[in-house]
Amino acid sequence: MSSRALGRREFFKSSVVSGGWLLAIQLPLSTKTASRVPDDIKESSDWSIYLSIRPDNSVIMESPITEMGQFMRTTGPMMLADELDLDWEAIKFTQDAKLHLSRNKEGGLSYSHANMDTGGSHSVRWTWEYLRKAGAIARQMLIETAADVWGVPVSELKTKKSVIYHSTSQRSALYGDLALHASQRRIDTNTTRLKTKSEFKIIGNATHNIDLKRIVTGEPRFGIDMAYPNCLQAVIYRAPAVGAEIVSYNKTAALAIPGVKKIIEMERMDDSYWFSGNTQYIAAGIAVLADSLWAAIQGRNTLNPQWKNTSKYANQNSEEQIKTFHTLVTEDGPAKETQNFGDTKTAFNDADIILQQVYEKPLLAHALLEPLNCIADIRDTDATIITGHQFPIRIAEEVERFTGIDALNVEVICKPMGGGFGRRAERDWVREAVLLSKKIKAPVKVTWLREDEMERDLHDPASVSQIKASLKNGNITGWHHRQAQTGGGAQDSCFPQGVVPNFKVELCTFKSHIPSGAWRGPQHPAWAFAAESMIDELAHAAGIDPYQFRMDLMLPARTFPHTNWGATIKDSGRMAECYKQAANLANWSKARPKHTGLGIAGHFCHGSYAAFVVEVAVENGTLKINEAWGAIDCGLAINPNHIRAQMEGGFIDGLNAALFNKINVVAGAVQNNQFNTFYLGRMKDAPLDVHTTIIQNNHPPTGVGEPPTAPAAASLVNAIYAASGRRIRTLPVIESFNHEEEYV
Amino acid sequence: MTIKLRLNGKKISIDSRYENIPLLWYIREEAGLKGTKFGCGIGQCGACTLHIDEKAVRSCSVPVSSLNGKAITTIEGLARDNNSLHPVQEAWMEIDVPQCGYCQAGQIMSAVALLNTTPSPTDDDIDRGMTNICRCASYVRIRQATKKAADILNASSEKI
Repeated sequence: MSSRALGRREFFKSSVVSGGWLLAIQLPLSTKTASRVPDDIKESSDWSIYLSIRPDNSVIMESPITEMGQFMRTTGPMMLADELDLDWEAIKFTQDAKLHLSRNKEGGLSYSHANMDTGGSHSVRWTWEYLRKAGAIARQMLIETAADVWGVPVSELKTKKSVIYHSTSQRSALYGDLALHASQRRIDTNTTRLKTKSEFKIIGNATHNIDLKRIVTGEPRFGIDMAYPNCLQAVIYRAPAVGAEIVSYNKTAALAIPGVKKIIEMERMDDSYWFSGNTQYIAAGIAVLADSLWAAIQGRNTLNPQWKNTSKYANQNSEEQIKTFHTLVTEDGPAKETQNFGDTKTAFNDADIILQQVYEKPLLAHALLEPLNCIADIRDTDATIITGHQFPIRIAEEVERFTGIDALNVEVICKPMGGGFGRRAERDWVREAVLLSKKIKAPVKVTWLREDEMERDLHDPASVSQIKASLKNGNITGWHHRQAQTGGGAQDSCFPQGVVPNFKVELCTFKSHIPSGAWRGPQHPAWAFAAESMIDELAHAAGIDPYQFRMDLMLPARTFPHTNWGATIKDSGRMAECYKQAANLANWSKARPKHTGLGIAGHFCHGSYAAFVVEVAVENGTLKINEAWGAIDCGLAINPNHIRAQMEGGFIDGLNAALFNKINVVAGAVQNNQFNTFYLGRMKDAPLDVHTTIIQNNHPPTGVGEPPTAPAAASLVNAIYAASGRRIRTLPVIESFNHEEEYV
Repeated sequence: MTIKLRLNGKKISIDSRYENIPLLWYIREEAGLKGTKFGCGIGQCGACTLHIDEKAVRSCSVPVSSLNGKAITTIEGLARDNNSLHPVQEAWMEIDVPQCGYCQAGQIMSAVALLNTTPSPTDDDIDRGMTNICRCASYVRIRQATKKAADILNASSEKI
């Protein structure tokens, strides 16, 4: 059958490669994905996804979304494979995701295929429609082909695990049998139907990580594991203090190390980026290039550089800034009003009880276990970059911006990341490698040491929040939140905004030059810590059980607008259900032994709701975290296994941050820049178990990367209060306890 | 003077010019075995854990010069052959432990060493024996998989 007339946006390409059907489908943009794409791109881009179905019915798939332990390498293909009715067990996945970009006539760049980005717990939301449609279109091509071949109506055909069935005539065909034929088929994608929830065969299953065997057998996977032909190894000794410049260094000593080939000075660079405005983005440094990484490290260790700092960024001091934040929030420092509902003044005048407290959270380190690294091969008119990145399009943009090479000529091989957490969304480490390769006109692999990663971090901002809140008849009537911090804003459209009628938020004015950036759930940990602590304090002041108090606050179910990034609506009923499920799972009312207490906290962010109960024991100045129970509402659960893993890992990450994570900056330099001065939570610090309930409903899927982390700090301090009567309002929590750290 | 040792069962000789190189860098950069990872370089995180004479060691802090006559096993050498996995690797797969996966080779090597000396570890034993950092905080599943591996190993040894 010949093709029906198709508009340009319904056209698809498919071709035959190595005897297999290489499927490339151009899809019409759904409104959801369309909203992510600038208007000038929408009309012109080629959208497609690559999938190879071989005659023997085996499948090779490229998993398109970048991976940082949030399991999108597995989740993405699940969505496509379900609609295509593939045999999941028979799919082989390639190792990497390659960058494919397109440009519209105005020059704007976008992904040619599925959106590869990961961040903001949005990867599923960005690709839910697209990847499913890709699978459904491929299925439609196959069954329409079979219908033609067999001379039967399409409606009589069923598909299951890569086989097409016609039950009436008892015929079947492998996808592989028909793939070549189907690859020529034109279809009208307006007739493509997506499955309903009850039809899913893969979505909803507790599926294992597709890379499990690679991981447990130690296959090279990460950027840091990669080699590149004729590539020098580079380690950069960067100025520890923000704003510092090179005065001198021992070039001769470095060059005397066997294997060291070149010493290149790297320029300090300011840039304006979304979090901090204009500030230092790249430090001045001395790059040691050698024929081996160890030689480069040794060369770096002989440099003994001297620095000077006469910049406006000199002398950043995190403790002084935090002290200033305290003064600003408590003494009416200049501030911008960011939320104002009702009349807090009257609410306070009419109150039975008023509480006013200050909550302090320090700078947080990312401490990615795989230090940053990048291979850059900048050639005359094209380039190759190999690294792990959360937003790979930015890599091509960097190359174009700093070398003039067309972004479309940049080959980017995206490796899974040994930790992302928002740090790998930045551009700096890629820019360094690009500039270095361009300078020496040769490929280079830049590897960061642990000290580099800690010192050149873009920290989660330190923040101090004062909350004044009023109770009348056991209800919260007024809430006035004043916040001062290193950078960024406040998550002031999160609860209790909406459920507290008189609600005001002010953000104090302060310019810090300590670089700050996105951490897991940017600014949500700070907000949730302060808000859920104060809610707890109000409950206790009112003499009401903290779980019941929260249920009374959130019910009856109401929806409110959410005006910050990540969601447009928040639903207090869904939040209440999370509290309820977590409390039930924890057996909230069961009496605990002496010195043991439960704390509850919840948070809404990035479209999902999560609440946790944690049990701690406080004895003889020692804190023990026993167990935790959590509930998440992320709409449709695509992979309950990995949602559970995110709840476990995300919550413990939040606990560890609340317990231990504090970066000290003195004279612009990070003081605790190694794992013997910056403690990361171990097995012994974690709860024995984190039990999870995944709430079932009919909402579309929302993310799970960040929602479990934000409520952790408050759940912990609330539990400590319950266990010991002691209220902690300053993080990290460990400063209030004895703790045994193990140094090997 | 060359340094003679066994690496994953194979006899190798390392030229004396490498004597000061930390074992981690020799393994990764010279021997090309990338499973053992770099995390800190000062023996704190455990990403570089491998076995020297069946004991778990943080290879970033061991110079090659100290290894004459030793037997080294890395994650790549843990399984008997290409078609089978070590019971600890099997347990890791059954429980689906890894998130980003960067620390997991070191975790597995630590678990193997722990189970060699403590075949039925309690939670306290696991706390003390598994001190590797997991930044993704997959500790709940590492604990479960360590216990599962103990079950697998104990079941197979009972059969003998």
